[in-house]
Amino acid sequence: MEDKEFSGRCDSEIPAAFVLAAREGTTNLLGLLRLIAAGVALCLAPALYGQSQTDTQTNGTQSISPVPILSAGVAYNSFFNGGTHNVHPLVSPVVLIPFRQNWLVESRDTFEINLAPVPGMSGYKGALKKEVDYLQLDYIANRYLTATAGRFLTPFDVYNERLYPVWIRDLQTDPLILPISTGPSGAGTGAMVRGGFDATPGIEINYATYFSTLSTDTPFDSQRMAGMRAGIFLPGPRVEFGGSFQHLLQDDRTNAFGFHGAWQPPSLPLDVRAEYANSHEGSGYWVESAYRLSQVPVQHDVLRHVQVVGRMQRYFTGTVPDDRLPSVNTSLFEFGLNYYFRDDLRLVSSYGRQFAPQGGNMNIWNIGMTYRFVLPVGHGST
Amino acid sequence: MKSRNLRLAMLILAAGLLVRPVFVSARQRAQRAPKVTSANDPGAQRNEGQKRFQANCGRCHQWPQKFPPRMMATIDRHMRVRATITEKDMRLILQYMTQ
Repeated sequence: MEDKEFSGRCDSEIPAAFVLAAREGTTNLLGLLRLIAAGVALCLAPALYGQSQTDTQTNGTQSISPVPILSAGVAYNSFFNGGTHNVHPLVSPVVLIPFRQNWLVESRDTFEINLAPVPGMSGYKGALKKEVDYLQLDYIANRYLTATAGRFLTPFDVYNERLYPVWIRDLQTDPLILPISTGPSGAGTGAMVRGGFDATPGIEINYATYFSTLSTDTPFDSQRMAGMRAGIFLPGPRVEFGGSFQHLLQDDRTNAFGFHGAWQPPSLPLDVRAEYANSHEGSGYWVESAYRLSQVPVQHDVLRHVQVVGRMQRYFTGTVPDDRLPSVNTSLFEFGLNYYFRDDLRLVSSYGRQFAPQGGNMNIWNIGMTYRFVLPVGHGST
Repeated sequence: MKSRNLRLAMLILAAGLLVRPVFVSARQRAQRAPKVTSANDPGAQRNEGQKRFQANCGRCHQWPQKFPPRMMATIDRHMRVRATITEKDMRLILQYMTQ
């Protein structure tokens, strides 16, 4: 990961940040641009070839030719951690390039800055962080199996893979246990086999098994590891539960395991989710509940846009310290209030109280906006 | 050692008896339930697609708006990989979201 320090005032820190980064970090930016260009070329080559091939997919009644897509999650968050103000803008573009009948190239990058006040100065200072979250080639072989190669999000528990994007997550803070066994940057580099299928009518099974190799080249750093995740989804009651296992193939060659569960009762606009993770780095769990007030009979026009969220989590230190995890046992209780202007634009806010020894007790406030857009690259309609 | 094996065998038997009714009742429910997904009934297909859409997409995020068909086909493929959604669910969801 390449970081570049810069300074700027809070009222105009974002444009100032990019201008200064451009001036002071020309070498790094050139490197990044070269990386993006290589990625785009890599993505476009098979896509351009594939567009001339038979690449339709059927919805049961008609054939539809998929089109490449550019999407992005955008967030502007303001955090108050124990009285310290941080501003955290983030852009996370996603590129999807389908080709032939069963192939897909998909990529997500993240560009984020954590701006904090500098003691004795009036400005804010932070580092631009650039990350390739995933850049993978998928081949849907049959109804049971999809093969993936490249850089992929580590499928350990489900938050990292499914709930991480800023426009999806109900609370903008990461769960404390998120870094456990997801590898550096939450990703692996290698190959993966995954799929979902009906076991019986009403019972679906999903799985992901992977091997990742050691890479120290930023922003593609990853650990040498192998693991799997399996889950059962019951679409009737909308219940999902499963477990993850991982074996580290480097350093102390330890094992890690985790469990996940989710429930969305069909009659209520309620989400209940939970995860547990255990490794030599530490262990812990979180339980989250989110309720959309769309069934409240009063002030329906306003309240149907409002979502209330609660989450409690605990983390226990392990035998091997990891600087991405708390250094002491920590408990955190959070309450959130989100307002959905549309399904892709919302105001987010939360309050959390952290309990930890050695002066770790603090209040954590957040207010921000999240937005997601989806654009076709080419003709977007038939 | 013998009693330990006996306890283990009893434990496995008990677990099997507990799990079996779940699978059996699911199968029985499926057999009893009328077949609503007739290929000749677009209304039933649409209802089934809507149910699958709400059950699967709502697992992670708020239900999104409908996109143009060619975009939906790409999103469909992406979500099949990302969320390990079954082929049948994806076909029904694509049909629902493109009608």
